[in-house]
Amino acid sequence: MKGAIVDLSREAAPRETTVDYLVIGSGCGGATAARELARAGKEVLVLEEGGDFTGGALTMRDGMYDQLYMERGGRATVDLSITVLQGRALGGGGVINASDVVPIGPGVLRHWQTQYGLSELTPEALAPYEKLALEDLSANTPRDDQINTNNALLRDGARALNLRGEVMLHNRRGCVGFGKCLVGCPVDAKRNPRFVAVPDAVAAGARFFLRARAMRIDRGNDELKTVEVRTLDEKGYHEQGELRVRARTVILAANAVASAELLLRSGLGNAHVGRNLSLQPQLPIVAFFDREVQLFRGIPQSYAVTEFEQLDHPEHGLWGFRIEGIGGTAGIMASLLPKLGHEGKALMKTLPRMAASLLLVPDAGNGRVSLGRPGRPRIEYAMPEEQKQRYRDAIRAAARIYLAAGAREVIVPLARPISIRSAADLALVDGASFEPATAPFLSAHQQGSVRMAPSPARGAADPGGQVYGTRGIYVLDSSGFPTSASSHTMTPILTMSRYLTARILAR
Amino acid sequence: MSALAGFSVLSRRRALKVALGALGGVVVGVSGLASLRGCAKDVGALRCLSDHEHRTLTALAIALFPEGGAFAGGAAGVDLARTFDAFLADEDADRRSDLKRALLLLEYGPVLFERRLVTFSNLAPEGRLAHFERWAVSERLVRRQVALAFRKFLTIVFYDRPEIWPDIGYVIAPTGAP
Repeated sequence: MKGAIVDLSREAAPRETTVDYLVIGSGCGGATAARELARAGKEVLVLEEGGDFTGGALTMRDGMYDQLYMERGGRATVDLSITVLQGRALGGGGVINASDVVPIGPGVLRHWQTQYGLSELTPEALAPYEKLALEDLSANTPRDDQINTNNALLRDGARALNLRGEVMLHNRRGCVGFGKCLVGCPVDAKRNPRFVAVPDAVAAGARFFLRARAMRIDRGNDELKTVEVRTLDEKGYHEQGELRVRARTVILAANAVASAELLLRSGLGNAHVGRNLSLQPQLPIVAFFDREVQLFRGIPQSYAVTEFEQLDHPEHGLWGFRIEGIGGTAGIMASLLPKLGHEGKALMKTLPRMAASLLLVPDAGNGRVSLGRPGRPRIEYAMPEEQKQRYRDAIRAAARIYLAAGAREVIVPLARPISIRSAADLALVDGASFEPATAPFLSAHQQGSVRMAPSPARGAADPGGQVYGTRGIYVLDSSGFPTSASSHTMTPILTMSRYLTARILAR
Repeated sequence: MSALAGFSVLSRRRALKVALGALGGVVVGVSGLASLRGCAKDVGALRCLSDHEHRTLTALAIALFPEGGAFAGGAAGVDLARTFDAFLADEDADRRSDLKRALLLLEYGPVLFERRLVTFSNLAPEGRLAHFERWAVSERLVRRQVALAFRKFLTIVFYDRPEIWPDIGYVIAPTGAP
């Protein structure tokens, strides 16, 4: 079979198609699975809602959010407290993430074995798949001269306080430091699925339909499922046509929000579907220096303070918190600043001297996906007090680090912003209540909404990823993770997709 | 990025409840409210905003980004409301009406929440900013949501313009590392 990438906003597709394997989503989970299946000689079709964006089409402007993210960049929890960032492009989240490579730690795997009964998922069993994932990513450590000032200040402050930290592995090759990775890389330096698994899959015979939205799965007689598909216009705004795909096996890899939503809309799976959603919300923090930082240039996220991260928490696996440098466009930075009007403009005048980081706080699956208006999932999230306390701890730690690095002021960009100029101000953080829609939380690592477990009493999918109550419908993305797999999900998804695809092929 | 795309909480029932709750004690009828708003100039060729809605959003943009100060450029010469109009036109009908309701709530904010006989667009720019800042810290979730959403949209669109970048030292050039 001849592989191809077909944009259905421009080219007509047959109204009915039958394949062995239908993969929904072309990101780290979907593209990887498609490649392995196609290489095994299977007939594979992949559906992707987004378009194909590479090179100069990625303009580094904020307008790209419209095309590269679900709901035009505005997906959020129902109370607007947390922006939910989810890629929508050929290559999925890998196109728009910060390129951090952080595998699943052995502590998390042990936790999944002991607490969630995934007894076969040992570090030894996963190791060969993780190795292949790291090869796909061309994982490497950024050179010293690639650590930009923003990240170096975090590192220097942490060192001054004797706090543990690390330069993170990344998946860039040929990076020139444009620094706008969250709206895609115009020099195609990211070794994401768009440039690795997708072309490999096409070469092996897989077909990709772009601007194709899976609406509903009809399980039929279980042998042959029927998936109702709507085609979208060139910008992905409006539905313009429909087709049906029949498949013996359907693989969901549309992210922990969309995969759960599709199952719910199709009436498939058990009562666990949509529950246990981990959003791992991140809170930005901004520091002002008297020197040039230019956080918008160079690799945005390369250094992490890991001192406070617990990799083997007995109750939760991954816990605690970590602090990572982050850069963004002028618009994104401005949206974080506490002042408006003339004061806001004066603050923006100091943009080149601002530093910023993200406080990453793993959560316990406090979220839920359910059905909202047509095409819009409803995402609810309740943040317990214990989690809020870890944000307060993380703010205090980050502020100490920035002050040690010479910051003049640290701002916590809440609706009532907190300004920290000395250690004496740290007590102000106790007053941060994180009421809904008062803090710029964002989620880039959604997980767990179709979690794997050894029995349907405890989860929504079996340890091989097959959705309970179905035959031949699998989840191969972060939906299946029982708890937060890592502070960054790209490598865990690639690894698990490889592992689970091998199991599917072995059945 | 459009923070507004996630704006699906302002259902008709909720908006009505908020508005009626806030109206308690304000002795102004529907026709009185309409007359407070006054006329809006015809801006022409809008895809889905009304002239009044365009005026509300423009008034907000000018309050958030005034001319002069730390750097010359402000929102007065830039039609940020038209960008919003273009965005809104490609949203679904439900979301369009949610956001139009949010604009209406903002326009009547001084009447509904502060019991003043003036609408948002008719406040002086400094008064508009002060009023809008009170939305962000309001006890009412819906006011915080409206503030968060419009502020984010307008801020990102305002600073995503290359002509403003030299003023704030922002560049998109590479660092030059091979």
